[in-house]
Amino acid sequence: MTLITSDAVAWANQEFPAYSVTVGRSDIQRFAMAIGERDPIHLDIAAAQAAGYADVVAPPYFPYVLRMQAGTLGPKAALAPDGSPARDVPPLETTRAMAGETSIEFGTRVVAGDTITVAKRIVDLYEKEGRSGALVFLVTEFEFTNQRGELVMRETFTRIFR
Amino acid sequence: MNVGDRIPEVERTPDAVDLFMFSAAAWLLHRIHYDLPYTTEEEGHPELLIHGPLQGTYLMQAAQWWLGTDASIHSITYRHKAPAYLGDTLVCGGEVTTVSNRTVEMELWARKPDGTVTTEGRAVFATGAG
Repeated sequence: MTLITSDAVAWANQEFPAYSVTVGRSDIQRFAMAIGERDPIHLDIAAAQAAGYADVVAPPYFPYVLRMQAGTLGPKAALAPDGSPARDVPPLETTRAMAGETSIEFGTRVVAGDTITVAKRIVDLYEKEGRSGALVFLVTEFEFTNQRGELVMRETFTRIFR
Repeated sequence: MNVGDRIPEVERTPDAVDLFMFSAAAWLLHRIHYDLPYTTEEEGHPELLIHGPLQGTYLMQAAQWWLGTDASIHSITYRHKAPAYLGDTLVCGGEVTTVSNRTVEMELWARKPDGTVTTEGRAVFATGAG
């Protein structure tokens, strides 16, 4: 039995329009506080400027926030039962989702005030037999570039459905 | 720095406030990180789950804090091996596997005190002029 129907294949073949987000100082500070960052360049303007930056600098993995926040923003009615945005969930008869493998390449750091463009594409949707039954793997790539066209981060993220 | 050097272990025990702050900062609405009745009754977990991306961040921080501010992360790959629940302590550590002119490569892991690895991966940092 295959879990990946023709509907799911069509879903995986869709294209996602790129979008741009201007990064606020408090976006960076909030993420830095949430992960318990110690370096003041992520929190304090004076410390960031003393280190040669124009404003607070984001921790390396900050662009994750941009793909979640702006990329998934929508009304409550647009959420799947598990709270995820329904449009991010492939049409499968699975009920549970988990984080799988993540692979990240880092480029230029994000500084408050930057405008970051997020491009998303689905790389793969495949099925594998696991110990507790069939698992479906959804592989998505996110590419983040800044207003100068420099690569900020490229993330390949696998979500597992069962 | 030499191959085989160990990163000093950093213990992280995120509480409900930490899970909330991470979900809020990312606008991450997945219920398994804040809705306990849903998480236990609908998904069969014993507790709220610690986010995979938060664990990945803990790995990056353990390495970065040891290497210092002159080093900058170039790449990382990690995989979640077992669920980590609210209340678990994650012991985050690593070992240097390759040292070259201006880069260092290491294995990284987050494990529970009983030895269960919840997340493991590999990272490359640029050292010196970051």
